[in-house]
Amino acid sequence: MTDSLYIAWKYIRFNRVKTVTLVACITLITFLPVALELLLNESEKQLMSRAVSTPLVLGAKGSALDLVMNTLYFDDEVPELITMQASNRVMDSELALPIPLYVRFQARGNPIVGTTLDYFDFRGMRIAQGRQLAVLGDCVLGARVAESLALKPGDSLVSSPETLFDLAGIYPLKMKVVGVLAKSHTSDDLAVFVDLKTAWVIQGLGHGHEDVTKLKDPTLVLKRTERNVAATAKLYQHTEITEKNIDAFHFHGDLSQYPLTAVLAVPQNQKSGTILRGRYLTKEETRQIVRPADVIDGLLQNIFRIKNVLDAVISVVALATILAIILVFALSLRLRQREIQTIFRLGCRRATIARLLSAEIFIIVIMSGVFCGALIWLVNQFSDDLVRMLFIR
Amino acid sequence: MQVNWFSLHDNNRRFFFIFCVVVTVAHMVSVSWAGSNSAGKLTVYVVNYPLQYFAERMGGGHVNVVFPAPTDVDPAYWMPDMPTIAAYQQADLILLNGAGYARWVNKATLPRFRMVNTSAGFKDQYIESAEIFTHSHGSEGKHAHEALAFTTWIDFNLAAGQAKAIAEALGRKRPELKDTFQKNYQKLEQDLLKLDRNLKTLISKDPSRPLVVSHPVYDYFARRYGLNIKSLHWEPDQIPTNEQMMELNRILKEHPAKWMIWEGKPMKETVERLLSIGVNSLVFNPCGNTPDQGDFLSVMRQNVENLKLAFKKD
Repeated sequence: MTDSLYIAWKYIRFNRVKTVTLVACITLITFLPVALELLLNESEKQLMSRAVSTPLVLGAKGSALDLVMNTLYFDDEVPELITMQASNRVMDSELALPIPLYVRFQARGNPIVGTTLDYFDFRGMRIAQGRQLAVLGDCVLGARVAESLALKPGDSLVSSPETLFDLAGIYPLKMKVVGVLAKSHTSDDLAVFVDLKTAWVIQGLGHGHEDVTKLKDPTLVLKRTERNVAATAKLYQHTEITEKNIDAFHFHGDLSQYPLTAVLAVPQNQKSGTILRGRYLTKEETRQIVRPADVIDGLLQNIFRIKNVLDAVISVVALATILAIILVFALSLRLRQREIQTIFRLGCRRATIARLLSAEIFIIVIMSGVFCGALIWLVNQFSDDLVRMLFIR
Repeated sequence: MQVNWFSLHDNNRRFFFIFCVVVTVAHMVSVSWAGSNSAGKLTVYVVNYPLQYFAERMGGGHVNVVFPAPTDVDPAYWMPDMPTIAAYQQADLILLNGAGYARWVNKATLPRFRMVNTSAGFKDQYIESAEIFTHSHGSEGKHAHEALAFTTWIDFNLAAGQAKAIAEALGRKRPELKDTFQKNYQKLEQDLLKLDRNLKTLISKDPSRPLVVSHPVYDYFARRYGLNIKSLHWEPDQIPTNEQMMELNRILKEHPAKWMIWEGKPMKETVERLLSIGVNSLVFNPCGNTPDQGDFLSVMRQNVENLKLAFKKD
């Protein structure tokens, strides 16, 4: 048997191109469905675990999927905005505890999540380095953001403008990195967390400038009445919040009208959750309340429907490839007819020749198996990251 | 005496074993009971002294109320440092006054679930202060909302409302002590409403009597008890300038007040300057920060006594 394997190995080495092609075909045909299965299982696990741990999401009526993807996975697609009043309404109902979220802005390609401290408690997030958010302008980084941007407590991070050509828009805010979160292996690792009010400052709804009542430059004052001074756009606004200027920061208008992308509602119990959901069922209601698990389940159903189609395509391709491989072997046998005749005349039995050919096939299959195993191991090892890169973010 | 285990009789040995088990279990129970009791004490952080007083009166030994502002600052304009904000974040309950009081709250990150706006129940009764200057941006810009009067607790009826909100918040945190908090609230409410009645009786003698106040912090007080006041911007520890005296004289022409109400004891020179134009001084301390002597109730009782001077028959 060893002799047969030795001769087969020599033959395979001599016909490298043919061998590589055959190994690649068999490897890919085996690897593709297994890898797809692995990735889909991982994505299902990731999507569902976060969705299941989030009881209810309140947002504007519209695409429930956009709302859930933005709220749970901080997707770029920003849903229709709601106001802080929506959060207050949940609070006043005493049926659930609301966690407001404003996921609209980015900092160096990472989503900025404006929320309250309750979000950290709800998700069980822990500060690994530095401290928790304390004042306006502070930010806490997800573990992978800190790694990829090489930032640590004490550094700063600037928010990105919403559009590149927004010349007349809001100045970016230089935020102070005060802490880095422990790795959670969820979307939270890829986000920059700020206080909700800091997110509003990034939008320009809150800002800091010198005391307008003491302005001496007349070009900075548009109108002065007995109780109010209207400032012009020339008035310089701070782009960083420091201990010295934090007192100058303020908000205009009614805070309950300030924007949010969603509210996580954590009901007291199942009954409270059901009652709360019932309150958003009327036609006149401009908001919707969804169970993320239902929305993600719907998404997964679609993914699995697509997966069935893919499986069918892969099966057909696999069949065609196997037929092609058989053809390659058959043609190869024809081409090697003279060589086989020579072996036969040298005194080898038919069984020995069959064993030689089987050894070749065996080596090719084993090599494909090894490559396929290695690739599957790699996918399995990095499935977490691959799923985030390919499916979630 | 040394106990020799092997020399004990079987019955004695059994008794000794049971005794040891009972003592160990009793010790463990007492330790865990003591542990749960100390863990059960609520840590409550507040933003001003009246809230501290209310929470302590109602919470008694079940709460540990902390008001970390230094005694020499006005808590309404105080900004806590990072360790203090971190301590607020760790509290079981954070009691806010509302009505824009303690502006730092809007600049700090605090756990919303643990924050209680004690004046939320009477939001519709907030007063927009006519004395505070606002600003806007551009011709259509919204005003910065900093113009609410916030000394709500010197309307003792509103103070009782704030106390009620605290009792309810404590009850939500410790449902098993809800009745205790309610009983304590009722006692506090009686005290506050007694002050309310006393003030009403006193002021009803002559509600139209003109008064001036040194600072615009008496809006709720004036509204509740129907006082006829005009506000200035004077500090008790500063002698009024000539411009300020001229402003007062202008006011006195249309509003002939004989008494000025101060937040704190004014300087002797100020009192004399005011006396020279026929204006007496009295102190009605809003007690936003911890008083040097006494407590909230005793300070307020003294305030009522002080105010009696202004309503004496001429």
